[in-house]
Amino acid sequence: MMSKKNVLLMVVFLFALASTLTGCGSSNTDQNSNGNTPSGTQSANSAETGGQTGDKLDPVKLKVYLIGGPQRDLPTVQEEMNKYLTDKINATVDITMIDWGDYSKRLPVITASGENYDIAFTSSWAFDYLPNATRGAFLPINDLLEKYGQDIKKELDPRFLTGSQVNGKNYAVPVNKELASQWVWRFNKQYVDKYKMDISKIRTLEDLEPYLKQIKEGEPADITPLAVPKGFKPYIPFDFLLGDEFPVGMNMNSTDGKYVNILESGELKSSLKTIRKYYQAGYLRKDVATLEGIDNIKTGKWFADREQTQPYAELGWSRSAGYDIVTSPMQDPVIFTGSATGSMHAISANSKNPERAMMFLNLLNTDKYLRNLINYGIEGTHYKKISEDVIEDLPAMKDGYQMPGFALGNLFLTYSHKEDPADKWEAFKEFNNSAKVAPSFGFNFNPDPVKTEVASISAIVKEFYPPIMTGAVDPDEHLPKAISKMKAAGLDKVITEAQKQYDEWKAANK
Amino acid sequence: MNDLSKSMERTLLSAPGKKKTRDINAISPLWNFIFNAGVCLFALSCIFPFIFIIIISFTDEKTLAINGFSILPEVLSLDAYRFLMRSGEQMVQSLGVTLTVTVIGTILTLYLVSTYAYAISRKNFDQRRFFSFLAFFTMLFSGGLVPGYIVVTQVLHLRDSIWALIFPSILNAFYIIVMRTFFTTTVPDAIIESAKIDGATEFGIYTRIVLPISLPGIATIGLFSTLGFWNDWFNALLYIDNPNLIPLQTLLIRIQNNMDFIVQNSSQVVSYDIAATLPTETVRMAMVVLATLPIALAYPFFQKYFIQGLTIGSVKE
Repeated sequence: MMSKKNVLLMVVFLFALASTLTGCGSSNTDQNSNGNTPSGTQSANSAETGGQTGDKLDPVKLKVYLIGGPQRDLPTVQEEMNKYLTDKINATVDITMIDWGDYSKRLPVITASGENYDIAFTSSWAFDYLPNATRGAFLPINDLLEKYGQDIKKELDPRFLTGSQVNGKNYAVPVNKELASQWVWRFNKQYVDKYKMDISKIRTLEDLEPYLKQIKEGEPADITPLAVPKGFKPYIPFDFLLGDEFPVGMNMNSTDGKYVNILESGELKSSLKTIRKYYQAGYLRKDVATLEGIDNIKTGKWFADREQTQPYAELGWSRSAGYDIVTSPMQDPVIFTGSATGSMHAISANSKNPERAMMFLNLLNTDKYLRNLINYGIEGTHYKKISEDVIEDLPAMKDGYQMPGFALGNLFLTYSHKEDPADKWEAFKEFNNSAKVAPSFGFNFNPDPVKTEVASISAIVKEFYPPIMTGAVDPDEHLPKAISKMKAAGLDKVITEAQKQYDEWKAANK
Repeated sequence: MNDLSKSMERTLLSAPGKKKTRDINAISPLWNFIFNAGVCLFALSCIFPFIFIIIISFTDEKTLAINGFSILPEVLSLDAYRFLMRSGEQMVQSLGVTLTVTVIGTILTLYLVSTYAYAISRKNFDQRRFFSFLAFFTMLFSGGLVPGYIVVTQVLHLRDSIWALIFPSILNAFYIIVMRTFFTTTVPDAIIESAKIDGATEFGIYTRIVLPISLPGIATIGLFSTLGFWNDWFNALLYIDNPNLIPLQTLLIRIQNNMDFIVQNSSQVVSYDIAATLPTETVRMAMVVLATLPIALAYPFFQKYFIQGLTIGSVKE
């Protein structure tokens, strides 16, 4: 039997134990037993030498987390990289690839545990940049960029750095890639040819009608004229606050800078009428409102769908489909805040070697040899060169080294394949330069004050959007229902909060 | 099934007007049939999804893309299984990891849980209240994900080791409580008393007397933890990067997560075709079949203990 006093003592002891365990998660100062960094290599004074020569710096090992499927040959490629990096900046890297679907689940845990990794991939869609930057997970890098990242600043479109600022500071190095986004209609070329269509005329949803009709009447029933899944939304020219799965945005053609409820906009209403008409005419699949995805590319039994594009995207689509796909734009390319934060590398706030991490990022974004090594593997093993900047994949690449190029660093340094047009990267730069900037570019909305409202509205969106946006139900009847439900869930409060933050940001960035 | 046909027979044979001779407490044959039919339907609805998965795994990929799922596919093919046999090194490796983890984990769990539970089930153990409380307390208050992660990675340094899949779940408070209750109800004090009089040591009592009469309980916990280890994917997701240590379920959940990711972010990741790196629909189903069958086949071995039920008397009171 145990006395009450003893029980009490045990409870106190347990709480103390628990609090020490959780308490030291946030501070790493007293943890020298970490497997990732060789002990005693504090390069705090190496920064003062200022020299970029390898022999003046202590050797360090950088822990890097990247997104993508783990690759079999990464260790051998990493060895090659480390030879080169030791020579250049006396650093080695230890890269861990974490699979697409797992990345956003695992990185927050790693960060919260206070592990002192050095570099991690972050973006607007995986291990979200904005909340983590606000939370202090990343190091502000403006000074480091000035000191060790001058080459990056030369190469990078300056709008990337503007667009990824949080409260006037940069917390990650953006990857130089396509900066604008643009929705296009995609068409299965065999039908375009068969009916001698002039698709260059097609821009709006309404323009599609005669062509869909032709397909519906002329082709067998299993050819879907407009092959879209439940995620389809008619294009409307809005700058969305929280992506197109949330009904708040700013009209791109207006200059008043006001956030509105897009469900009440005239543009959407007329588009919904059109899509409803198409649905009733049988241009879309009958079960579109519950269709998670659609295998139209694989089966080839489709005429039109929609997709986001980049220069020469149709070549890639055609290649993976095995037949020709052509496109026609719905809009001019636009630059949003989200497109500037589409792929970035942040330095952890717990990093022990931020200077060296920045030197590595600098090389990654400016050094052609290193950039292609991490992207394509070892020459002669994973690829062979056809000419200076053009390569051909060898079988080993498909088997053991397929890396997501856009998530690794400056895309414009990478070799192209012989199927690619010679001016591919030129076209990308052209695409970026031609784009116009959205009214809220550079503004990052912080949803924390209206978290509950955002969550409950998102739930309503999930329920109402698919049937309404795909025309499966009558918009006149169901749209008002959706709007009143969202209003009850606090939509106006969200709009007011967004407006307030936007106006403050606008005033600060005159 | 046999009972069902008998009762059907009885319903059919019983002529109208004639007094039926049957047990006064039995339900009428008609109701018996209705209840049996209901249970059959329920069982079918449990089994059907799995049968469906097996059917899909034998369907030809192209047929699937064109017609969607169907119970009687037009074209059957073994391609999915052929593909797994050819490029299934990872799968075989993962199966090995899962088996190792399950066997070692279950043995350790049984050893730790049963000894702990036995100790706190003995009324003459002084500290039993405190140790019961210690186990019970963790059921109510857990540190959460991040502290657990810190303990495993920074205190125990188990990252990328097979023990990271075993240690976090070998001592389960719930199993301890179940086992303790089981011991207190099925092992009478009288037995222990008499064993003591005959000169058995404490450990001897435990291994030679208590364990043999507690087999149903041990089997129950054994099955629980076998299933637990076999189906656990979260620990590997957190702690394992080495592809040679990835268990089967984690392999499957990764594919699932990547699929979800593609559906959610199709517009974000234009320039890279993730879908191309994923196995096809039929291969995924074949993987599920190969991952689930072994554990489904293990169940009958535990079955006999469950039928005995969790009550075994061994003393006349």
